[in-house]
Amino acid sequence: MIDVKALLEEMKASPYTMVEVATPHTGVLSLSLAPGAQVRGPLGSWKEKKGTTLATIERERNVKPIHAPTNGVVESVASDLDTAFVQAATPFCTIRHYLTKAEVLAAILKKALFLFPAPERAKYYFVPEVDKKVRASGSRAVKVRDGMELFIVSRMKRESPLAYSGPAGIIYAVYFGLADNVDAGDPLIGVCPADQLAVIQDVVNRVQAEWEEPEGNG
Amino acid sequence: MKQTDKVLVANRGEIAMRIVQACAKLGLDFVCVYTDVDHASGHVRLARKMGGDAAAVRISSYRDANELFSVADAAGATAIHPGYGFFAEDFRFARRATERRRKLTFIGPSWSVIRELGDKINTKRLARGLGVPTVPGSDRPIYDEMEAEEIAENLFAFQSEQGVEKPLVLVKASAGGGGMGIEEVHDPDAFRQVFRRIRNYAKRQFGDDGVLVEQRIMNFNHLEVQVVADRHGHVRHFGTRNCSVQSTGHQKRIEVAPGFAPGELKYSFDAARVLEEIKNHSLAIAQAACYDNVGTWEWIVTPKGDPFLMEVNTRIQVENGVSAIIARIGRREGEEVDLIAEQIRLGLGAHLDTEKDAKTGFDQEDIRLEGVGIEYRLIAEDPARGFSPWTGRIERFDFVEEPWLKVHSQVPRDEPYDIPTEYDPNLALAIVWGRTLAEAKERGLGFLDKLVLEGKDSSGGGLKSNVAFLREKTANLLEF
Repeated sequence: MIDVKALLEEMKASPYTMVEVATPHTGVLSLSLAPGAQVRGPLGSWKEKKGTTLATIERERNVKPIHAPTNGVVESVASDLDTAFVQAATPFCTIRHYLTKAEVLAAILKKALFLFPAPERAKYYFVPEVDKKVRASGSRAVKVRDGMELFIVSRMKRESPLAYSGPAGIIYAVYFGLADNVDAGDPLIGVCPADQLAVIQDVVNRVQAEWEEPEGNG
Repeated sequence: MKQTDKVLVANRGEIAMRIVQACAKLGLDFVCVYTDVDHASGHVRLARKMGGDAAAVRISSYRDANELFSVADAAGATAIHPGYGFFAEDFRFARRATERRRKLTFIGPSWSVIRELGDKINTKRLARGLGVPTVPGSDRPIYDEMEAEEIAENLFAFQSEQGVEKPLVLVKASAGGGGMGIEEVHDPDAFRQVFRRIRNYAKRQFGDDGVLVEQRIMNFNHLEVQVVADRHGHVRHFGTRNCSVQSTGHQKRIEVAPGFAPGELKYSFDAARVLEEIKNHSLAIAQAACYDNVGTWEWIVTPKGDPFLMEVNTRIQVENGVSAIIARIGRREGEEVDLIAEQIRLGLGAHLDTEKDAKTGFDQEDIRLEGVGIEYRLIAEDPARGFSPWTGRIERFDFVEEPWLKVHSQVPRDEPYDIPTEYDPNLALAIVWGRTLAEAKERGLGFLDKLVLEGKDSSGGGLKSNVAFLREKTANLLEF
């Protein structure tokens, strides 16, 4: 049984995380913000409203904004890179971010759910029948059991099936995205056994009630 | 070709290293790209060693054209070499390179040639128009299930009429290549299921769910003709290769040049005549299509010695080195043939015509093919488990240097190397040469026996490689 209270206290003691922002690709970088600036992450039900523009990057005469991935305060920027041609994945900005309820909940759920890990670095997909169900009704509509063929593992242009192994239950959380590479050992799904649903609901309620965010953190 | 040309190497691993070396040989400047997971690859080390830190630029993906063009502009490159895979056969990429505001020379065939011959269907039509035999089956991508089933039924019926005991139909992703997305069907009732599987795979992997349905010719040999052409209408060939030793997934594992050995082995057909025939057919198609760089014509040869054109690969092939190792150019005594250097020269406008360029041009008669070359593809994979790729850390990789041996590899010999899971686990290409097939085989086996290749995966398990498979297959090379 996990100690939700202790975990919450631990997170309250250090409620920030540092988010490093890097260039998505090569190009000429132009910085838009200085340290100390307040920034906002994407908004909307589908995150359709982009976050604050941190910088722009130009290649092939195409200027592309780089948006803040999360709310927070700009801690530092690499001002020496302003107007320079940069390589892909070059870090240029750090944001100090106050953890949201959803992030705290996700972190605690990772300790409460049964996590089924990726056996190797690869791209993962649900098998077509499960994929249809997840798209139509959400992952919590899918019941899994030991030995059930659940994933397609795609790497080096080859695909092979992967069966789930672990306790029976519902898929409470999905940790991989379409066409994302998942590292070996990283969780693919979090499964909640049927008899644990009440416990998980309690975790959700506790976090909702006890985690306080500064105004506008959402 | 101007000595001020600078080549962007738009590829990775072994081929990127070969392009860098070819540029150095030609006195050309270059710039390489790499992704984060490839930071330890030999091509990055070589680029930095030969061109300094600025000669290797980190990008987000080898498949991002914008990324490549932005690096080309920032580095002042004037030409782009796509290697093989990635953009090598993408006519849109080639067209964009040559037609954008800051133009780049595409080191490969012209975009219109790639479009014409890169399409298996067009190639089939062109070949049929020239009287060149092609594999029976659909001559356009099929999207409709009912139509595909009808073609398959006809192919099964045709084979039965021909007396084929176990008729087979091949279902292929139209946009695929390199043996990916191919399945055989022997039970007409299972056709629909396989068709759907390949269509879904094609959609996921290539973004186009068009499928080809062809007759599967059994027990064939897979031959190739290496074509070299300039931008001025001159075409040559560098002989044939036999690529029949493949994995269960139709991936080549051993290539031998020339394609048959009629002087040493007995065939039930006139093997020398077949080799001549496919060379002549390939040159005829190359001339008709105004082919203008290096390329490979792929052939199926049946046990009766009937050749069928399969497709044209409008790029340099992995196995180019095995053709080069048996070739000599009369006008360039003492110089090793390097098809990648030839490709760059010709791509930058050099002439094959000896009247236009007496120094670097050559006629077909100048090309001498001597001895036998065998290329082994050393791959981290498990042949016992369907050639499934193995990933982990290569801890030791070493071999004995010999005058008859060339090894091309991005794996360092002096430090461990983690195989990136994003790409194929190819470790090295080893090419041996012998005066005869027997000598080449003996040397090949000697190389494999002395090869040091060790590694561990993340759970401590030992390296899986195809060395035992290569050794076993060496015994019967070129027998048919």
